[in-house]
Amino acid sequence: MTPDPLLIVKDLKVYFDTDQGMAKAVDGVSFRVGQGETVCLVGESGCGKTVSALSILGLLPQPPAQIAGGKVFFKGRDLLELEQKDLREVRGREISMVFQEPMTSLNPVFTIGHQIEEVITTHEGVDQIESRQRIIRLLNDVGIASPEERMQDYPHNLSGGQRQRVMIAMALACSPELIIADEPTTALDVTIQAQILNLFKELQEDRGMAILQITHDLSVVAGVADRIYVMYAGIMVEEGSVWQIFREPCHPYTMGLLESLPGRRAKGQDLATIPGAVPDPANKPPGCPFHPRCRYVQESCRVQFPEMCDFSDRHLARCPIMYAKRKVQSA
Amino acid sequence: MQDSGSEHTLSTEALDLPARQTRLQEFWAQLRKNRLALIGLVIFVLFFIVAVTGMVLTTGTSPQLDSSLVRLQEKLRPPLSRPNLKSLQADEVPVLGIYLLGTDELGRDVFARMLQGAWVSLTVGFVAVGIAVLIGIILGGLSGYYGHSPVRVAQVFIAVLVVLVVTNWSRLSFKTLAVLISITVALAVFLLFSRKKEFGGPLFLLNTQLFSVDMLITGLIDIMLCFPSFFLILTVVALLPASIYNIMIVIGLTSWMGAARFVRAEFLSLREQDFVTAARALGVSDWRIIFRHMVPNAIAPVLVSATIGIAGAILTEAGLSFLGFGVPPPHATWGNILSDGKNYLFDAPWLTIIPGVAILVVVLSFNLFGEGLRDILNPKLRERH
Repeated sequence: MTPDPLLIVKDLKVYFDTDQGMAKAVDGVSFRVGQGETVCLVGESGCGKTVSALSILGLLPQPPAQIAGGKVFFKGRDLLELEQKDLREVRGREISMVFQEPMTSLNPVFTIGHQIEEVITTHEGVDQIESRQRIIRLLNDVGIASPEERMQDYPHNLSGGQRQRVMIAMALACSPELIIADEPTTALDVTIQAQILNLFKELQEDRGMAILQITHDLSVVAGVADRIYVMYAGIMVEEGSVWQIFREPCHPYTMGLLESLPGRRAKGQDLATIPGAVPDPANKPPGCPFHPRCRYVQESCRVQFPEMCDFSDRHLARCPIMYAKRKVQSA
Repeated sequence: MQDSGSEHTLSTEALDLPARQTRLQEFWAQLRKNRLALIGLVIFVLFFIVAVTGMVLTTGTSPQLDSSLVRLQEKLRPPLSRPNLKSLQADEVPVLGIYLLGTDELGRDVFARMLQGAWVSLTVGFVAVGIAVLIGIILGGLSGYYGHSPVRVAQVFIAVLVVLVVTNWSRLSFKTLAVLISITVALAVFLLFSRKKEFGGPLFLLNTQLFSVDMLITGLIDIMLCFPSFFLILTVVALLPASIYNIMIVIGLTSWMGAARFVRAEFLSLREQDFVTAARALGVSDWRIIFRHMVPNAIAPVLVSATIGIAGAILTEAGLSFLGFGVPPPHATWGNILSDGKNYLFDAPWLTIIPGVAILVVVLSFNLFGEGLRDILNPKLRERH
C-alpha cells in the first residue's frame, strides 16, 4: 500500500431532488485509490457506484443532482471545490474515464482518429504529425490491428470490443494517473471481456497508472482488483483485499453476493439469490439499509445505523452483529 | 506520452500514409456515390449561376436584358417566336434576336423577367431561411442544452431594462438613462456574485428562480406558432415599406420555430448520450461539445427542413407578390410572373408553365440535395447507397 493515496473520497454524499423526495443515491461513501493500484467498487444496479464515479469528475448534471457533502481529494486538491475550468484540465489529463457502453460512447459523426486527436489537442498543443504518431501508437498499444487504416474509420465500422479499445485509447491519450472504468466490460461478451481486462492489466504494468473499476461482476473483481469496496444502497458496506473479501466475507450482503455466483451450488439446484430488492433511494428503511433482506437481522438493526467494524487488517464491514459473532467464535 | 513498449516501434513507412482525406474530399467522395443528391447539387449550382448572371444582366441603367421594357404591339408572343422587326424600334429588339420564353401581356420579355426573378427567389430563399435557421439553432440549442438552468427575477429585470433603454434611447433624458443603466449594471454584478449564496429579504426575492430557460423558449415558440404565419407576414409587410429586404427578414423572423424545435429535440436526446458525457469526462469544453459534437449530430433534420423552408420562402414571396404586398411591381419575381400569367392561362399557357416549372425544379433540387446531405452527414446512413 502506498503511503500517500492518489485519490481519497471522504464521506461523499450525492442526493437527487426528485418528485418522490430527496433520493440519497450516495450517502456517505469513503474510499481511497493508491498510486498504481486497481480498486474495485462492487454492488448491484442502483447502489450508487456510477453516481460516485461521475461526481468525482463533476459530471453529474446539477440540478437534479446535488453534492450534499464530502470531499474528493486528488493529489491533495479537492476536486469538488474546483472551478469548471480547472476541473476540465483535470479531466482527461489526470483522470479519465471509460464508459460502460462502447456502442454509444463514441460520437457517430467523427472518425475515431479525429476523436482521439481531440483529446490530445484539448490538453496539449501538439502539431498534426506528432498527434498522428501518438494516435497510431495508442491504437497499437490497445491492440487494434493496422491502426493507420482504423483511425479513419467511423465508430459504426468497428465491433463492440474494438470500440471499447478505442475508448481506452482515448482515455490513455494524455497519460492520466487515474482511469475510472465504469463497468467497461458489461456490454461485451465473455472472451472480449477477458481481453479487455488483460489489456487494462498490461497497460497498468506499462504505465503504472491507477484504475478505479466499477462493476457488478464479482468474477471481474477477483481477476483484477487489489482492493475491493462493496456498496449497498449508497453506502459502503464492506472493504478489504480480494483475499479477505472472497475468503471470509463479513457483511451478510457480501456473503449473499458470493453465494449468488453460479457454480457454488450442486448441479440441479436453483441458484442462490438474496431475497428482496434494493431499497428505493428516496425511501430507505431506517437503521441498516440491508436489514429487510438480511438473514441475521436483529432488533437493533431496524433502528440503529451500523458503524464500520474493523474485523482484521484493513478489513472493514458495516455489521456489528457479525462482528460480535466472529468475536465469540474466535474467543 | 511515454513510449510504452519496444515491440511496437513503428516503421517509418507506417507513418508515411496516404495523406488523410480532408473533410471536403471525403464529402465529395460521398456525394459522388449519391446520384440524386449530385443531380440536386448540379441543378442548384446551375440555378445559382443563372440567378447571378441574371442579376448582372438585368440591373443597371442600361441593362443587357431589360425586363421592364413594354412592347404592347408584341404582347403574348409564344416562346421561340421571332420579333416583328417592323413594329419595333431599334432599342426594343431583344438581345437574343428571339423571344426565348415568349412575352407577357405587356409584351415584356419573359426570359429577362425570369432571369431577374431567379435572383429574387434565390436571395429571398437563402436569406430568409438563413435567418430562420440561425435563430432556430441558437434558441433551440440554448433550450435543449441549458434548458434546466433557471431564469432568476434579477435576470428578467435586466432584460426589461435593456429593452427599455434600447427602445427609448433618444426619448429619455440623460439622468433617467444613467439611472437605468446603473441599475442594470448593479443587477448584473449582483447576479455574478450571488450564485452560491443565500440571501434574506428583498435580495432573496431578486435571486428567486422564476422559470427555466426551456420554458421561456418553448413558450416563445408556441406563441409564434399560434399566429397564422402568412397573415402575420401580411400585417408586418403592410406596415413596413415594400422592399425585398423587409420581406426576407420578415419571412425569416416568422419561420424559425420548426428549426428551433428540431434542434431542441435533438439536443435533448444528444445531451444524455454517452459520447457527450465521455467528451466531458475527457476534458472537452461545453462550447466545443455544443458546436463540434452536438450540432453535427443535430444538423441533419435542420438541413432537410431548411431546404424545404427555402422552397416555402420562395412560395411565400410569390404569394405576397400576388397579393400586391411583395416586391413592388416593375421588378419581376417568379411569383408575380406566375400570378400575372394566370389571367391568360388558356391564351398564353407559357406564362404560368415557365415560372411554375422553374419553381418546381428548383424546389425539387433543394429537396434532393437536402436529403443527400442528411445521408452524407450521418455516416450511419451511408451504407445504403
